[in-house]
Amino acid sequence: MGFLTPALTLGALAVAVPIVLHLVMRRQPRILDFPALRFVLQRRESNRRRMQLRHWLLLALRCALIALLALALARPTWRPPQSRGKAGAPVAAAVVIDNSPRMEYVEAGRSRLDAATEAAASVLDRLPDDAQATVIDLTAGSARFALDVDSAVSRVENMAPVADARELTAAIIDAIELAGEQTERRGQVFVFSDLTRGALPAEAADRIAKALEAAPDVQLALVDVGSTATKNVSLGELQLSSSLLRTGEQLRLTATVSVAGDGDPPLAELLVADDSGELVKRDQQLISLGPASSEGVQVGDIEFVVDDLPLGTHQGVVQLAAADALAFDNRRYFTVDVRPAARVLLAAETPADATLLREALSPSLFAGEGGRFDCEVVRAADLPKTALDEQQAVLVLDPPSLPAEAWDALWKYAQQGGGLGVFLGHNAESRELNEAAPQQVLPGRLKRISRNATYLRPRRLDHPALAGLANYAEAIPWQLCRVWQYWQFEQPLAGDAHVVATFANGQPAILQRAAGRGRLLVGVTPLSESLNPRGRDPWNDFTAAPWPYVAICDHLVGYLARDAETQLEYLAGDTATIPLAPDERVTSYVLRTPDGQGLRRTSVAGEGTLSISVTDAPGNYRVTSGGSRLNRGFSVNLAPGYSELVRRDPEELVAALPKEQFQLVVGGDAAAELVEVSATGRELFPWAIGLVAFVWGAEHFLANRFYRKE
Amino acid sequence: MTTVEKYLKPEVIRQISRLDLRAQFIVKGFLQGLHASPFHGFSVEFSEHRKYTAGDDPKDIDWLAYAKTDRYYVKKFEAETNITGYLAMDLSASMDYSYEQELSKFEYATCLAAALCYLMVLQKDPVGLVTFGERIVDSLAPRSNRRQIGNILSLLAKLKPRDKTDIANSLTQLAAMLKHSSLVMVFSDLLTDPEPVLAALRRLRHGGHDVIVFHILDAAETAFPFEGLVELRDPETGDKLEVDADGYRADYLQEIKNFRDHFTRECRQSGIDYVPLDTSMQFDRALMEYLVNRRTHG
Repeated sequence: MGFLTPALTLGALAVAVPIVLHLVMRRQPRILDFPALRFVLQRRESNRRRMQLRHWLLLALRCALIALLALALARPTWRPPQSRGKAGAPVAAAVVIDNSPRMEYVEAGRSRLDAATEAAASVLDRLPDDAQATVIDLTAGSARFALDVDSAVSRVENMAPVADARELTAAIIDAIELAGEQTERRGQVFVFSDLTRGALPAEAADRIAKALEAAPDVQLALVDVGSTATKNVSLGELQLSSSLLRTGEQLRLTATVSVAGDGDPPLAELLVADDSGELVKRDQQLISLGPASSEGVQVGDIEFVVDDLPLGTHQGVVQLAAADALAFDNRRYFTVDVRPAARVLLAAETPADATLLREALSPSLFAGEGGRFDCEVVRAADLPKTALDEQQAVLVLDPPSLPAEAWDALWKYAQQGGGLGVFLGHNAESRELNEAAPQQVLPGRLKRISRNATYLRPRRLDHPALAGLANYAEAIPWQLCRVWQYWQFEQPLAGDAHVVATFANGQPAILQRAAGRGRLLVGVTPLSESLNPRGRDPWNDFTAAPWPYVAICDHLVGYLARDAETQLEYLAGDTATIPLAPDERVTSYVLRTPDGQGLRRTSVAGEGTLSISVTDAPGNYRVTSGGSRLNRGFSVNLAPGYSELVRRDPEELVAALPKEQFQLVVGGDAAAELVEVSATGRELFPWAIGLVAFVWGAEHFLANRFYRKE
Repeated sequence: MTTVEKYLKPEVIRQISRLDLRAQFIVKGFLQGLHASPFHGFSVEFSEHRKYTAGDDPKDIDWLAYAKTDRYYVKKFEAETNITGYLAMDLSASMDYSYEQELSKFEYATCLAAALCYLMVLQKDPVGLVTFGERIVDSLAPRSNRRQIGNILSLLAKLKPRDKTDIANSLTQLAAMLKHSSLVMVFSDLLTDPEPVLAALRRLRHGGHDVIVFHILDAAETAFPFEGLVELRDPETGDKLEVDADGYRADYLQEIKNFRDHFTRECRQSGIDYVPLDTSMQFDRALMEYLVNRRTHG
């Protein structure tokens, strides 16, 4: 119980008036002769008692009337028990608005985000003048309490959906912590959400409950702006057969379509941008849906095949033909690169020694069908005469003694941006290789050949050369990559050398050296070792089984040739990275965003990549630079989880969260009333004035009854 | 209402200052009213003719006798049986009270007594007057001649209520004075202890007398019309009491009713006529009571 204008309660002192009138200011009686006084006297005692009772009763009623009137004018309020902690302290209100893409769901011509912001604005509007407020949305970044509510209101008014929304739960917990830090104020958190599972997953309630436990003074109100009847067709994540294609290779696009609520089978369309960037429809498909799940969601698959993409970067979109309430998940964007095969030079003592690796990199069976690598085999002795500039990678396999010029040429090639791999074997001689020229390339001085049987077992697959294997690391039978002999280097290694992969016994297996703009890997055991070499024991049996040999070769050579599959698909908010070829010099470029704007940007000098962080909007991005004929692209999509529109059961939330700290209300009006009640208490003026009227009536009734004219 | 009948109203009678005229008007009004009533001719009987003398009512001239004899004769009326009446006037100070009324209780009683006196003399009934305070103050022996009217009225006109009262004692004294059975008409407000008064009245009744008690109260004493805080003072005893009149009215009216009911009941049991009156009432009520009593007596 409190008062909005407590000073007016002093008006209750006016009860003194009737008391003074009663006790002090007694009227002088009229003096009258009355012979029949004896009859009056007979009833004196009983009448006096009754009259006294009536007088006191009336006096009490009149005093009560004045007191009640004063109290009513002081506007009494009733505060719910939840807000009694720190009663009277000013409010610090944290407004959390779910502005994830899911909230763009349109109902009755109005998005849920609009409903949420309107409700939030009405809550802020009702906050008392001494309140502080902050608005927390799902963009990353910390919030703090603003001094005035107006800035919070303007933030709410300008609230826009954010593509890379963080978890709502995290935002709620931030808000609770922030409100809990307000020691001098009563912390209140208002959360405006549609209560979908996407917004509040199953574990959210526990996490929120923990946060509330840590901040026992904070009140949490969850304002439901969603509805149960949702209808949405959503296009799931787009799966590409590969984002890097060779000439003539097919692109296969698959995706899952889920339909919540009733609806006709949706029609999906594939559009691919032509040379001018214009989207052209290439295909369409009517999706056949499976049976509905218990939640009424039907699922169907689509598959598009594109098979005549020319060289270059291609972008497109798969979209649902019909519009629905939630627009963002009706379109998925993709980008693919079509590149020619990478040219790789294999140098071995005899061409036969390179056969196994060549077959692994470009199988002769599929020659001419768009393989990844275009391999050329030369004798190691011919290396000095061979032009290396055209090659993207050069692999020197178990080199016999090479002239110093050959090593110089290799070193120069690597320095200028080439990819050089040297895999030592039985032909190597430490004396020769410890000379100055080979030592430019090798990571250290050769010590000896170790004959400790072991197997290839990289401890970590984080080096870019092996990172591609990480996706199926569990499935690689490393024990099959047995090694019986390998070269050991004298310690310490060259200052710029480091180990890329080790054997199971911890000895280095593959090492890398810095080589100018190029890449340089050195293996200590051959990569193309025959299983039954003539006249000697084999050094390893990598080639015994195609798996994982082919994969390892593919990744190592791909790394050297800079032909690794680059990421072309990003989620909104990610930083996109575009690797540049060693010879590509880009000082400035134009980023064309999905809305058609061209942003001129400058690249950081010396970096081999372009980093682009302006990826807020989903769509296809294009990076061009006239000077270096750079023309690349990437796609940004929203995380598929934002399409989760199935509602949480509100009762579950109410049950999981502490009753004295949590309230669930529906709609803005209820929320606004809540803030008023919890901030100032529920106003009791109508009741108080009703009571005044009642007491007044009672006083009149009694007075009339007591002094009725007979 | 005829012009004469209006004289039964106290507010009209007040405008006439002479008591004899007052009495005359009251009785005339009363008798006029009787013509239309079943009482017409019931109380007055023709007895003889006598010669008309100046001062006689020309109305009483018997025109039949005049036709026969060429002389004016006046019809002489006579009751079959004469009854001696005593008018017993209470002189207590409380009788001299009026609250916003035309007549005080005493004036009302005087008018009423005068009228009755007039009526009785008209009937040839001997009528006497007794006044009392704490004891009998004055008395006038009953006579039935016309001069008696003058005697009684002049005495009545001179009376001033002034004393404390002891009705019981006075009535006892009166009972001792009465030799023949008489009609005793008591005019009092009876503002004293009721039991001794009732005992004295019963004693009178037992002495073979008819008793009519005209209990005259002021209209204010029957209606208690006061409002707000008042201090009431008893003029006889000087007692004072401050009361909230509004809150007291119901109690007071109940008490008055009890008092009157008590008298009514007790008097009926003893064969006494008890006539509760207040100063706002017409006089005919009291006169009628006399006539009714006279007939039963007859």
